[in-house]
Amino acid sequence: MRKSKRPLVALVALLVVGLLGTSCAGKKAEAPLKPAGVPQDTLVIGVAEDADNLDPAVTVTNNSWAITYPCYQRLMRYKVVNGQGSTEVEGDLAESWEVSPDGLVWTFKLKQGSKFDDGTPVDAKAVKFTFDRLRAVGKGPFDAFPTLESVEVVGDYTVRFKLNAPFPPFIYTLANNGASIVNPKVMEREQNGDKGQAYLAEHTMGSGPYRLVEWAKDQYFKLELNPHYNGPRPKFATVMFKIIKDPSARRLQLERGDLDIAEELSVDQLEELKKNPDVDVREFPSLSVVYVYLNCQRRPLDNPKFRQALSYATDYEGIIKGVMLGKAVQMRGPVPKGMWGHVPDMFQYKMDLDKAKQLLAESGVKTPVTLGYLYADRDPTWEPIGLSLQSTFGQLGIKVEMQKLAYATMRDKLDRGDFDLAVGNWTPDFADPYMFMNYWFDSEFFGLAGNRSFYKNPRVDELIRQAARITDQAEREKLYRQAQEIIIQEAPYIFLFQRNYMVAFRKNVKGYVFQPMLLNIFNTPDMSKE
Amino acid sequence: MGFGQLIARRMLLLLLVLFGVTVVTFSVSHLVPGDPARMLVGQRASQEVVEQMRHQLGLDRPIWEQYLRYMRNLMQGDLGISIRTQRPVVEDLVIFFPATLELALTAMFLAVAVGIPLGIVSATRKDTVADHVSRVLSVAGVSTPLFWLGLVALLVLYGRLGWLPGSGRLDPFIVPPPRLTGFLLLDSLLAGRPDAFWSTVRHLVLPALCLSYVHLAVVTRQVRASMLEVLSQDYIRTALANGIPGRSVIYRHALRNALIPTVTVVGLAVGDLLGGAILTETIFAWPGMGSYVVDSINFLDFPAIMGFTVFIAVGYVLINLVVDLTYMWLDPRIRAVG
Repeated sequence: MRKSKRPLVALVALLVVGLLGTSCAGKKAEAPLKPAGVPQDTLVIGVAEDADNLDPAVTVTNNSWAITYPCYQRLMRYKVVNGQGSTEVEGDLAESWEVSPDGLVWTFKLKQGSKFDDGTPVDAKAVKFTFDRLRAVGKGPFDAFPTLESVEVVGDYTVRFKLNAPFPPFIYTLANNGASIVNPKVMEREQNGDKGQAYLAEHTMGSGPYRLVEWAKDQYFKLELNPHYNGPRPKFATVMFKIIKDPSARRLQLERGDLDIAEELSVDQLEELKKNPDVDVREFPSLSVVYVYLNCQRRPLDNPKFRQALSYATDYEGIIKGVMLGKAVQMRGPVPKGMWGHVPDMFQYKMDLDKAKQLLAESGVKTPVTLGYLYADRDPTWEPIGLSLQSTFGQLGIKVEMQKLAYATMRDKLDRGDFDLAVGNWTPDFADPYMFMNYWFDSEFFGLAGNRSFYKNPRVDELIRQAARITDQAEREKLYRQAQEIIIQEAPYIFLFQRNYMVAFRKNVKGYVFQPMLLNIFNTPDMSKE
Repeated sequence: MGFGQLIARRMLLLLLVLFGVTVVTFSVSHLVPGDPARMLVGQRASQEVVEQMRHQLGLDRPIWEQYLRYMRNLMQGDLGISIRTQRPVVEDLVIFFPATLELALTAMFLAVAVGIPLGIVSATRKDTVADHVSRVLSVAGVSTPLFWLGLVALLVLYGRLGWLPGSGRLDPFIVPPPRLTGFLLLDSLLAGRPDAFWSTVRHLVLPALCLSYVHLAVVTRQVRASMLEVLSQDYIRTALANGIPGRSVIYRHALRNALIPTVTVVGLAVGDLLGGAILTETIFAWPGMGSYVVDSINFLDFPAIMGFTVFIAVGYVLINLVVDLTYMWLDPRIRAVG
């Protein structure tokens, strides 16, 4: 019997050796093929999620915009001022433009020589086609053009937009991903009258510096140069987006040099990465804010004094230090710093429990009171924020009940106003305080649309609607300021903080400019590697 | 009961299972609050656009009508269109399922190819060093959390040593072979592409090793236990007393009987591997079903969730059938009694 076991032992040994062999041999075989890191003319960005749909008329997600933004051009683009991003816009495809005094007619002259990636010229017809298509498709991106009535071709390179009511953010919305000019030849790919949606969901047909050549689902995107691009030739011939869902794995790949940029790492991972001499962690103040909705239609939250008490019972500093490790600044009113319309001397709540107790007494609300705090595990900061509120509100006799739900369910409850307190993030789609003031406070936008506190004040409605009708920026700023003063007193939200946008690069990656309006979108055409 | 009868009976059962599974998943996914139409058009879309989308998706119809429509399409092999990816669910399954299956089968192969011999060694050399080592390994395997194992393996073998790639199925700088079966190992062989084949093997090793470890441990323990039981029986002693060589006794008489419970374990493990690949897929950025399903759930993507559930339910029934057929083959008594 003893003898008989030898072959078995040998088999096991062979398997083990074989497995080890695979790994060792692999190293030898690959080593001469691929030195550490990524080729000089290739940029590899590690992202956390796959995109959903690449059609500019359909998608509203940052994951998709990261891919499409460099593949298309728009009439306008965000300006770089002194090497820094801004919320101002300048012409991209547009050479010049003029607007009628009533703000209803916008005429654009296009630059000549711009071409789509198949060589088709970008002309007035293409612009008209794009906006007609956007309307016909009628999905999320079209919401940025609520008053657009028609687009007319005036000449080969002149195009006229007519609005049925003034919409001052219009010029800014033209820099949106949704306003990407699409090659009219997409109609050759139309299926069942879908305006080419099926095709554009997975392909790009734009005039930007790059074009999509491969999308391996849940694996990577590969962009290559658009041979007909009318502009300086980018340094990177290839840009890859690798989809790596696990943040530890993304970090590891960056450190190994298999990625040039790693996105969406946690604050503590980024702190660790700062110790790596090959890695550069860059940090920028962003327009992305985190705030708490107080449901103004529900007792006792319908009482402004009670809401003020909550605003005084929030530990802003503790949350920023503890949850964000200091990578955020407290909001001052609803319009974040960096967006025009922000009021630097606006009243700002601070934690003051005595004041909170006094306001609570004045409100006449009897304690103990229980409030639900609605959140999901979509964002890791939401839970600790709730715990912080639970602890400080608890000192006033206000019990906070943590209500964690699936994100989709949470959104449904938000939309129906079925909550007491809820937490959320907001990022502007276009560079105008309209994104904050009108969406958050207009009583016509109850629910997910934007007014998530279900806040209604006729005077505020009047002020912000007026500000959305006139084009004079100084006048608009004044109206928004008046509205903010009322709002801050009535405290329909707890204005927590603006996040810093943080991203980790290999040290040799140069030329990145952070554009506050283009989170997760890299200016790859201007970037290079040393 | 013969093979044919068993198969016929199971096919009937399959229909019942399908009906049950679709009714349950359909009801659950439609009772969960949350509006997929709104998820699809974005949070700031107007009510009008949302309604239009609801209509387009058929979500404005009564639920029984939606169900009937779903079943009619299902019978024609149409699982609907994924709300999230906006591709037919069948197409998505075809893209993502082979990746998961390739990983699961490789892991299964490792678990069986290493686990069975290890179990035999452990049983025949009970209480020797070999036995102790294999037992420690298998206890460790059963009690190690997969995500931890995966992260450590990634950190050491990719991060520190750089022996193996850390993510994906294929080096992104290698042109993938034309897609025929969806199994990269097969596709690259069929295309005569040693570079792609080699890259695939290297990408498979880490996730497959991690995924297989738990099952390897289970198989080893199972084989050891049933071998010990069989080896202590009278007929084995009789065989040995009659001078039949030990090797022959072990392989021809003992192993065959000891394998029956192991087949059950392996059969269940296949289902488990398919489902349990989720963590492995996340850590190693493996583009398989696991992450597809998680994303679909987060998006309330009814057609995708249901398509996957139906698919897995059918898979389970078929795997059970294979397990039962294997029993019959291994043990003539089951064939006789049925």
